[in-house]
Amino acid sequence: MRTLLLLLPSLTLLGQTAHKPAVANFKETGSASAPITLELYTDYQCPSCRAFYMDVLPTVISKYVATGKVRLIHRDFPLPQHSYTRTATKYANAAGQLGLYDIVAAQIFRTQPDWEQNGNVDGDVAKVVPPGEMQKIRDLVKNDPHLDDTVTADLALGNQDRVGETPTLVIVRKGGQRQKIGGMVPLNVLESYLDQLLAKG
Amino acid sequence: MKRVLLLAGQVILAGIFIYAGYAKLREPWIQFAVSLNSFRLLPAGALEPLAKFMPWSELALGIAILSGVMLRWSALVASLLLTLFFAVLIRSYAIGLQVDCGCFGAGEADLGPLRLAEEAAMLALAAAVTIGAFRRRSAGREPVPADAADRDAGLTHPA
Repeated sequence: MRTLLLLLPSLTLLGQTAHKPAVANFKETGSASAPITLELYTDYQCPSCRAFYMDVLPTVISKYVATGKVRLIHRDFPLPQHSYTRTATKYANAAGQLGLYDIVAAQIFRTQPDWEQNGNVDGDVAKVVPPGEMQKIRDLVKNDPHLDDTVTADLALGNQDRVGETPTLVIVRKGGQRQKIGGMVPLNVLESYLDQLLAKG
Repeated sequence: MKRVLLLAGQVILAGIFIYAGYAKLREPWIQFAVSLNSFRLLPAGALEPLAKFMPWSELALGIAILSGVMLRWSALVASLLLTLFFAVLIRSYAIGLQVDCGCFGAGEADLGPLRLAEEAAMLALAAAVTIGAFRRRSAGREPVPADAADRDAGLTHPA
């Protein structure tokens, strides 16, 4: 009986749609009590976003996010002039629902020069995701009508923040004060600025 | 008339530099550092010091021009600075860089012919003020003819 009770939630879940999000906040990393939140607006097809993702973000994550000083929120801001960015965004967010956001987002940025030629995001993502999971991602990309909901919400937030380019960082401090920094921020500059903000408390 | 034109040019040039400095100072320095970085000319280590120093120097230069003290030299410095900025913008435009120059704060229009024309106009203004200031100075130094000096003093020369 006890086993049945324990299984009940799982059975209920099975009865629901197979595309129920597994990870609700997959775009967020770090402590919710961090004194600084970085909201990072990016477009998967933007070269500066790729440079930021590959050259700056790893250090920011290891030095600030992993140590509880900064909370990082990725926000999608697909630009209309980029033909395949919407497709790339769908793949990243579908992977996010399966708990594979980080690995897939990294792969999409890393292979940007390849897929931006022909739009074959699928081929590049498939290189880092096991076949079974890849099929789930494809299903979500094809069939989930709510896959773009977070993108719509991110775009609305971006418009509120008057984001006009990517990458754009919005630095949110404890009191809710928001500072928008548009453009590619070099690592040493961002480190210095964050250190100064953290020192101020 | 020339004096009025010089004064007008001086005030406008001072206003440009004071506004440019103020517009940068009201934003966090990191934003101007990002703008500087977009030109791909400076080493990463120079971005922060320059982003912090330049707005204050623009403000100081604007105040110096407005005050008129040593106008020739402050206008000359402004002309040289604007020549440098213009050259950098021309280079960026020529190689197709998408830069937000950050000249008057973030969020300016993309670099294009209009922006270059604005920069050229500012440079022309600074050059005109510099030339005017130097001419005024050299005119002030010219020896006054003896006749005119005596006439002003109410003296007469023997025929």
